[in-house]
Amino acid sequence: MKHYDLLIVDDEQRYADMLAKRLGLRRLTCKVCYDGRTAIEIIEGEPFPVVILDLRLPDIYGTEVLTRIKQCRPETAVIILTGHGTEKDREQCMAHGAHSFINKPLDIDRLVAMMARIKEKSP
Amino acid sequence: MMKSLNRLPWAIWPRFHRNDDEHLSPYYTFQDYRQTWGMTIFILMSTALVPLVIMTLIYYQLIETSINTESLLRTERLASNARRAVTFFLEERLDALTFAVNEMGYERLTNPGRLSEVLRNLKLGFGGLTDLSVIADTGTQVSYAGPFNLEGKDYSNQPWFLECQQHNACVSEIFSGYRDVPHIVVAVKSVRADGRFFVLRATLETERLIQALSSYKTGEHADIFLVNREGLLQTPSQFYEGESHHMNIPVPAYSDRTRAVMSADHSDQPILIGYAFIDTNIAPTSFILMVVKQKAGMMKVWLDLRSNINWFFGVSAVIIAMVITLTSTVMVNKIFQADRQKAETMVAAERNCQLASIGQLAAGVAHEINNPLALINETAGYVKDLFTIKQQYKEDPELVEHIDSILDAVDRCGTITRQLLGFSRHFDVQTQPIDLNDMVTDVINFHKKEAEYRDIKIHVDIPETIPLIETDRGKLQQIILNLVNNAFQAIANGCFLDIRAEMDGPEQVRLFIQDNGCGISEDHLNKIFEPFFTTKKEGQGTGLGLSITYGLVQKLHGNITVQSKTGQGTTFVVTLPVHIQKEIQS
Repeated sequence: MKHYDLLIVDDEQRYADMLAKRLGLRRLTCKVCYDGRTAIEIIEGEPFPVVILDLRLPDIYGTEVLTRIKQCRPETAVIILTGHGTEKDREQCMAHGAHSFINKPLDIDRLVAMMARIKEKSP
Repeated sequence: MMKSLNRLPWAIWPRFHRNDDEHLSPYYTFQDYRQTWGMTIFILMSTALVPLVIMTLIYYQLIETSINTESLLRTERLASNARRAVTFFLEERLDALTFAVNEMGYERLTNPGRLSEVLRNLKLGFGGLTDLSVIADTGTQVSYAGPFNLEGKDYSNQPWFLECQQHNACVSEIFSGYRDVPHIVVAVKSVRADGRFFVLRATLETERLIQALSSYKTGEHADIFLVNREGLLQTPSQFYEGESHHMNIPVPAYSDRTRAVMSADHSDQPILIGYAFIDTNIAPTSFILMVVKQKAGMMKVWLDLRSNINWFFGVSAVIIAMVITLTSTVMVNKIFQADRQKAETMVAAERNCQLASIGQLAAGVAHEINNPLALINETAGYVKDLFTIKQQYKEDPELVEHIDSILDAVDRCGTITRQLLGFSRHFDVQTQPIDLNDMVTDVINFHKKEAEYRDIKIHVDIPETIPLIETDRGKLQQIILNLVNNAFQAIANGCFLDIRAEMDGPEQVRLFIQDNGCGISEDHLNKIFEPFFTTKKEGQGTGLGLSITYGLVQKLHGNITVQSKTGQGTTFVVTLPVHIQKEIQS
């Protein structure tokens, strides 16, 4: 079974695919899904060291997905990547165990550096 | 003291509107407070003074009517008493003559000795008789007793003799006659045994009659006298003697009883006339008794009292007017102040609503733009990745340059959307203790170089007594930065910027940011916190700086005001609470 470096959860399909491609060019293997329920199913099925999670998903709100991920896989680092993040969202996500909170548009190198640090710290 | 003196004119003539009030006008309950104030005073004064004036006038009317009625009654009573005295005087003497002719008869009376005896007895009994004579039916005096030698005189053509023939007795007018002394003739006719008649005539001195009349004179403005029916004075009048011994007031119309009327004298002064046509029960007379009183003299006491009442009324009216004016001014002023406060709150609420609406619009736009931007970012990033990571594109630097410019544009768009989002929510408040002095010093440091270059003197005076403020560092920094930026744009080289702070009670701090720059005109002063309002040239200012500052101050539960004069400078005053209440934050 193939082990991915990260899971990207975003309802904007083209965006998620493009991000996966860019990370792929940087030798990071990505799995992509476009809604909250699928994301939870995937996480329950296999572990991911990192999940990049959008907050505004079509079926379940991002913080709910975050909670379920942390319940199921507490070791997974969840990076919230959103276009509409408020300070309140940030506080809420951090309280629910998010690793970090990033607003779109994204600086890909910063994300890669962040993932490298996560990989270093993970056992 | 001087302050209260300066305020005095406004207590009497209040200033309800100021030049900076125009923007509040739509929110006032009453559009014209001066008119409201005037109407209040008018209505209160009318309610208080009109009934008072009407009551006073009615009271005056009643008093005057009562005094007039009383005066007429008194004058009539006086005239009636005097009439009785005159009538009695004449009747008494006529009765005496009647008694003499009936008792003694013609023969005895024509005896000069007996006639003198009768005269003596009459003088003793009544007094005031000058002489006594007997006149035959031919009109010739046949016997005489008295001081003059008038025997043989012919009286046949004398009016009194003719009247005596007709009425059996007569009383003449007062006349001088042969002796040239004013006197009255009274005479009675008697018929002798042979059927012929004779007349017993007596001459009366007028002195007694005048004395009797004078005893009825009351008061210095009263006059009492006798006139005949043509108005010729029979006894002297003190005030009403006109030409040819006629009285100078009209002869009253005949009445068989005593009467009193109001009239006017020759100089149009109001007078009261009591009069009576005098007739004895033996013979009629041509006398009219006149009692004349000047009304002014009788009304003097009342006029003095009325003058005092008028003074009292005047002073009372002035005091009432002052109390009403002051009370109305204070009350209307209080209503005005409350209304003004309400209007200011409405304006502030409207401004907040405006900011909130624009904030919502900005947030909507920003959210919608952000997602496509993110996609552009990733797509362009991917293209760049292809060029930089994949070996086959590495030799094409021009393409990389173009991609970089796309990314740069996206980055700038990202900055704009962040700013728009910031405008809508100003982010959430995170409180921490802030030293205001440090904060101001930090902000000033951003401008240090510019100030040195432009020779702008910055003076900071934040006393050590100002406590640490529990507030949001970022927002406070942005507020101060915006205001200092604003000041730097308004002042010319060589001007000054003064930043100072003071406590406003134990729970509030006031921060003053004052410059001596170009100032803000009155027209603009009310609009400077409105979004997109700018006086700068197009493209040089967004018009959001001060409205964002306003929103930030509101977010920190503070208040911002501005005072400015064109050419003299501007002072922004930011009032902030020392502690933000936690529950309000959330």
